[in-house]
Amino acid sequence: MEVDEDAELMLRVAAGDKSAFAALFDRYQASICRFAYRFVGDQARAEELAQEIFVKLYRSAKSYRPSAKLKTFLFRVASNHCLNEVRRGEYRMPHVEPHTEEQEGADGQAQHASGPDQALEGKELERAVGEALSKMSERERAAFTMCRFEGMAYRDIAFALSASEAAVKSLIHRATLAVARRIEELQAGLCPARSQA
Amino acid sequence: MSCEIEQDLTAFLDGELPELRAKQVEAHLPGCPSCAGTLSLIRRTVLQLAALPELSPSLALRRKVMARLDEPSGLTERLRALFRPAVLMPALGMAAAASVAVVLSVGPESRLDPEQMYVAMNMEMLEDFEVVGLEPEDVEVVTHLHELEALP
Ligand SMILES: [Zn+2]
Repeated sequence: MEVDEDAELMLRVAAGDKSAFAALFDRYQASICRFAYRFVGDQARAEELAQEIFVKLYRSAKSYRPSAKLKTFLFRVASNHCLNEVRRGEYRMPHVEPHTEEQEGADGQAQHASGPDQALEGKELERAVGEALSKMSERERAAFTMCRFEGMAYRDIAFALSASEAAVKSLIHRATLAVARRIEELQAGLCPARSQA
Repeated sequence: MSCEIEQDLTAFLDGELPELRAKQVEAHLPGCPSCAGTLSLIRRTVLQLAALPELSPSLALRRKVMARLDEPSGLTERLRALFRPAVLMPALGMAAAASVAVVLSVGPESRLDPEQMYVAMNMEMLEDFEVVGLEPEDVEVVTHLHELEALP
């Protein structure tokens, strides 16, 4: 079972076993990079953050208790790290350039040709999500990412963010709605006919 | 404007509501077009997110992380690595120890000069930061404190 395997690896890391750490890294690097990317919106910076997060995980191996799932523990390290970096002004969400109506119109022409019922895809979707994320609070962004991209349970997200489950519930609700509305706005821009209907 | 059920819709969809509350939401939906609309918007969005392009971390990341594992980590370890045997001023306690360690990690060759003493005296600032471990950047903040204090 994966959870026990993780805990066992982490115990070996605490005893100084680097190959155990490498195994954990391989298992979670995609998740942590994705989390950091959603958090800062820039891939190079996300990798720097991911690097620091894993080094912190290694150093905190001794304080890990198998009573918490390793993934939850790791995301607690990751959340603390990202929130601290933002608080120190190290990282800013860069891509808050809500694109103008003209651009939307121009993009829309091209997209529209492939079908009026088409949902946002690929780059357009990425842009909508990135814009929405950049406008919400850091805690909303972190909770949203853990929930929507990592499939973590509210209880685990609450542990990662040192928050109550009730607080997490509303962070995720607000964030999900914000993303939904941004996608809708851009979609309406792409398919003007449909938005009038 | 919207009913109090609205705030539970995402949790409802995520299967995160207690059974009783979930039943209340379910019962509410048929009579409330606003909530029903919001729920379907949330559902659509969650499905759509699966279409986001995947990121692939660079291959260099693993190497970089593994290479950093042997860096001295905790303050005591950093101290031990730099001062052997460590000669500390016990009266100043952890704060002094921390500042010496961090200062030395920035410039291991240097001796304590007035600026570094200033850092030592301002360690409480660092302790107020919710940092898990001190990093060189923390020290930069403190070494430049006097510039801030010069302001009115
Ligand atoms: Zn309602």
